[in-house]
Order: sequence, then C-alpha cells, then structure tokens
Amino acid sequence: MAELNIKNVNKSFGTTDVLKGINLDIQDGEFIILVGPSGCGKSTLLNCIAGLEDVTSGDIMIGDDNVTYAAPKDRDIAMVFQSYALYPNMNVRKNIAFGLEIRKMPKDEIAAEVERVAKLLQIENLLDRKPSQLSGGQRQRVAMGRALARRPKTYLFDEPLSNLDAKLRVEMRTEMKKLHQRLGTTIVYVTHDQIEAMTLADRIAVMKDGIVQQFGTPQQVYDDPANIFVAGFMGSPSMNFLECSVVKTADGFGVQIESQGKTFELAADPAQADLSAYEGKNVVLGIRPEQITHVMPHVESQPFVTRVPVKIEVTEPTGADTLVLTHINGQECECRVHPTEAGNPGEQMDLLFNMSKAVFFDAQTENRI
Amino acid sequence: MRDTSKRYQPVTGRAILYGVLMIVAAYYLLPLILMILTSVRSMEDIRMGQLIAWPESFSLEAWRQAWSEVQIGARSETGLKPYFINSIKIVIPAVAISTILGALNGYVLSFFKFRGSDFFFAALLLGCFVPFQAILLPQSQLLGWLNLGGTIPGLVLTHVAYGVSFTTLFFRNYYVNLPHELVKAAKLDGAGFWTIFFRIILPISTPILVVTVIWQFTQIWNDFLFGVVFSDPSSQPVTVGLNNMVNSTTGETRYNVDMAGAIIAALPTIIVYVVAGKYFVRGLTAGSVKG
Repeated sequence: MAELNIKNVNKSFGTTDVLKGINLDIQDGEFIILVGPSGCGKSTLLNCIAGLEDVTSGDIMIGDDNVTYAAPKDRDIAMVFQSYALYPNMNVRKNIAFGLEIRKMPKDEIAAEVERVAKLLQIENLLDRKPSQLSGGQRQRVAMGRALARRPKTYLFDEPLSNLDAKLRVEMRTEMKKLHQRLGTTIVYVTHDQIEAMTLADRIAVMKDGIVQQFGTPQQVYDDPANIFVAGFMGSPSMNFLECSVVKTADGFGVQIESQGKTFELAADPAQADLSAYEGKNVVLGIRPEQITHVMPHVESQPFVTRVPVKIEVTEPTGADTLVLTHINGQECECRVHPTEAGNPGEQMDLLFNMSKAVFFDAQTENRI
Repeated sequence: MRDTSKRYQPVTGRAILYGVLMIVAAYYLLPLILMILTSVRSMEDIRMGQLIAWPESFSLEAWRQAWSEVQIGARSETGLKPYFINSIKIVIPAVAISTILGALNGYVLSFFKFRGSDFFFAALLLGCFVPFQAILLPQSQLLGWLNLGGTIPGLVLTHVAYGVSFTTLFFRNYYVNLPHELVKAAKLDGAGFWTIFFRIILPISTPILVVTVIWQFTQIWNDFLFGVVFSDPSSQPVTVGLNNMVNSTTGETRYNVDMAGAIIAALPTIIVYVVAGKYFVRGLTAGSVKG
C-alpha cells in the first residue's frame, strides 16, 4: 500500500502530445477513476504508471520511490486489462501462479497463494481450465485473481468491465467495490463509462485531450463541474446547456429564457455564481434534467424556482421517471418528470425550473462562472 | 402444388461441384499413380508392353536399385541413399535455424519495436522477391571466403539466409494479430524478453510453426539450383542425385528405376503434407478468424 503521486507528466508520440502536464496526488488506499472519451489519454496515463510506456517528462512516485524510469516489474503494481490478457496456453492455476513463479516464490507458498485468491474470487472450481473454456465473467475474475496474487501496492484497471454484458457489469461493479473495501489498496481504474466512475470512485479525474479537466469526489464533479465538458460528460441523461442572456432581477441577477414565444426570468442563486459581470451578455446555463420537474406545490414555494409552460415534443419513459424533451431558447432541453404527470407529445405542460443547483458557464471559454 | 424442380437444383449444383473436384483430383493423382505402377514393373515388362500399362508382375527390385545400387555419374558410392542422407543433413538444421530466427524476428518486430523497425521489416520483405539466380554469384563468393564452398554447412547457411525473409513474414503477421496486452501482462508479471518468448509466445505459435516448417521443408528439400551450384559430389542433395541418376544411362532408360527414384526423392515432402496438412490449412487461415 502506498500513495501515488504523478507530477507534471507529459507524454508525446512523435509530434503528438498525448498527456499534457498531468498532476495527480493519490492517497494511500484511494479508489481513483480516470474517465474521459476515447483518445483522451487515460489509457496512456495508466500505461505510464505501469511503466509500459515511458513518460516524456515529469515524475511518477509510488510511496517515497521515484519509479519514473523503473521497469514495470520493479514498481510493485498489478494491472487488469480490458482484454484480460490471460495466457492462453496455461490453465487458470498457472495463469495466477506465473508472476509468483517468475519472482521465485517457493512452490508451496505459490500453491497456498493460488488457493487464497481462488477462494476470494470464488473460482476454485475453474483452476484446471484453460482460458478458452471460460465465460467472459469467469475470465474477468481470473484476470483479477492474477493481479491479486502478487499482493501489490497498487492496482491498475484498464476498462476491466467493458467486455461484459450489462447485467454482469453491474454485478462485477459491486464486487469490485466490495473487494476494494476489503483490500484497502490504492486502485487506479480507467473507464469511459461515467456511471462506473460515479459509483466506484473515491475521487474521479475527468480527462480530455490529455489534460485533467477536474479531479474531485463524484459529488463534486457532478454538482460543481469545472467546465462544460465535465458537466456534459458526467450524468445521464446529460446536463442541458442553454445559451441565454443575463438580466438584472428584483434582488440580484438571473437569466432570460423563451418558451413558445413568451419570455421568463429565472432568478439565479447568488451562492452558485456571481453574474454581475455578465449583465446583458450571454452565458450558458447548465441545468440537469432532474432540476426541471413537473409542478409540485412544496417545490414551487421554494426560492429560485420558476414555473414555465412548455410544449412537449418527445417523451421517453424509463420506468422510474419519464424524460420530456422540449425546446427552450430554440435549444433542446430534457426534463425529468413523474410518469403520471407527463403529458403526450404535442401537448402543453407546466414545468418547474429549480435554479438552486444550476451552474453557469462563460459562453466563450466554456469555463464555470 | 409446389414446383418440385427447384428442390433438385442444389443437388445438381453439388453433383457438378464434386464432378469438377474429382477431375481435378484425378489430374493430380494420375501421374503419381502411373509412377507407382511403373516403379513396380520389371524392365522386361516395360520393354515388351506399353509404357503405360497395368503391371504384369509386382516387384520392388527397382526401388532397391534406385535406393542403393544404381550407378550415378562416376562416383564409387551407388544409389540415391548418400544424396538422400545429404538432403536430410541440410534440411533439418536449415529448417530449424530459419524457423527459430523467423520466430524471434517476428516477435521483436511485433512486440519490441525499435526506431526503424518498420523499415527493417520492409527491407527484410524485399528478400522474398530476390530470385534464386540473382544471388548465385555473390553467394558463391561469400561461401568461398567463409571456406564453406561445396560443404553441407555452406548449403545450410544459404538456405537459412534465403528463408529467413519468409519465416519472418509468417511469424510477424501471426504475432501482430495477438493481443499486445499479453506481452504487457507478462512484463508486469516480471517476465523478461526470453521468458515471454519461450513461456508465452512460442507455446501459442503452433499453427504458424507448422506452416513455417512445412514451407521451409518443402522449399529446401525441393531445391535444385542451390544444391547443384554450391555443392561438390560429397554434399549434393537428393534432387541433384536424382537428376544425375536419370541422366547417367548405360544403354537403355530404366523407367522403373527412374520412377522409383523420383518417388523416393519426393517421399519426405509427401509425408510432411499428409501428417501436418490440416495444420497447414489451419495455420494459413489463423488470424483471419478470431479463435
């Protein structure tokens, strides 16, 4: 167990800069998720931590050791790959034991360690099978087993669940979290799935174009996104972005929106943003679908809540809620309402815009105001 | 009523297909059958009757003669046996060395890329397009300098150098289709260059090993040009021996002995194909379909 510090790491392939000044301080025992769209450099960063790629500049520290130029085997890390990368010529037992054999562990200790890991992951009955005789979920467990057997300081996971079907993925997600609680070791986990990121992480690093856009707890990243990219990436269905102009209201500032030819003023919570510098200019209002609901009297009486009639264009029932698509300021806007309250497409409906959690972005820089 | 004539169309199509396949098979098999038949006939039989005829008698005498008795050129040893042994002495080390080198090259070019490795691979591939004839003079010069002219090691070296382009191509194309994460995982497990090669990569290379061995074996065993140019009488391979045998006539052409000799010379390649043929097809298509 150890903390992991990534200091100003850059990585270029030829003239292409893949990582641009990455800084991450990861505490001992933290579950860190690197999330971002494909090509954002998250897997490259993981490979750099593992030592499978050399960094162009910067330092990687594990505990007190600078491992920037250490060979992968000397970093005391284990990695689980997306394709699992099980050795096809060896059975499960040999796969798990391989790393221990290379490290010249005595035979009886290896056998004991394989037993321990197999028990932990409930794969005792699979030990004599070849990888080709295993299902996807079983292969995934074996790949985890191979990583666990060495008892490394740090675990790296490269999209380990993305090859599983949806149901199994949810199951394994829970198991992964249990496992981390039991082991308490540092984990760095790469995924492009924002739900995986939200549910598993102690802290999330959202990456784009080789830059860490935001590094924080799931709730921080969700409620306080640093820019439009982070706000749009985290959460499903994603946040609505409405470009609108800032106006002065009775006691502060707000934004003006237009629905069906009528204009409405939405008062902004000054605790969320100081809009005084933007009066008369356009900003991007970021408001999540669950903050636009059907009319509920106890909500309507709260501050920063405005009632707006809209025209329903499309409805998408999800069971628990129904998503209603409409147009605000000529831009698409998705709202989450109770199934029984949702009207039919083409009908009119009153919605409550709750601005207490709304965020604002600069229209040019796309950064948070 | 349904139109029943359509139902027979696939059957007819199949019949035509099998018919064509049988004709093609016969086209390839008939010469071999004729050779076998002629080789077990006696010269008497051949002289009196037709050249193509059913054997009147059965005898392996011609095989015995071709193997150990027939006078080839003016050398003191008789029969194809010494040539056959030479061929084995050439083929086994040449196939083994060129295959291992190809596997290593392919391994490095796929998983341990270095600056210029793509250029290196392209340059190596050019070797596949160099005709035998083009390297005869420089190679004989080289063998002369190395003092290997006319020796079996000289022939082995020639075949290894010529074959390594092909074997590298085979292995490299097989290995680029393996997941790179396999090697990454092994590195993290602490395995080094050679451990990864011998414990992970080589054990899963069986299909391409079989392809390469068959390819190299056939090429080297059937080679005549290198065998005739870079050898002296003590190191000539069986192809040269067969040629000399057929051309050293004493009066009459002994068709039965010639046929038996030709079959003897071709036997090892036939055996290799029969034993490993299905792996050959499997190996050629490996990588195109995900296992």
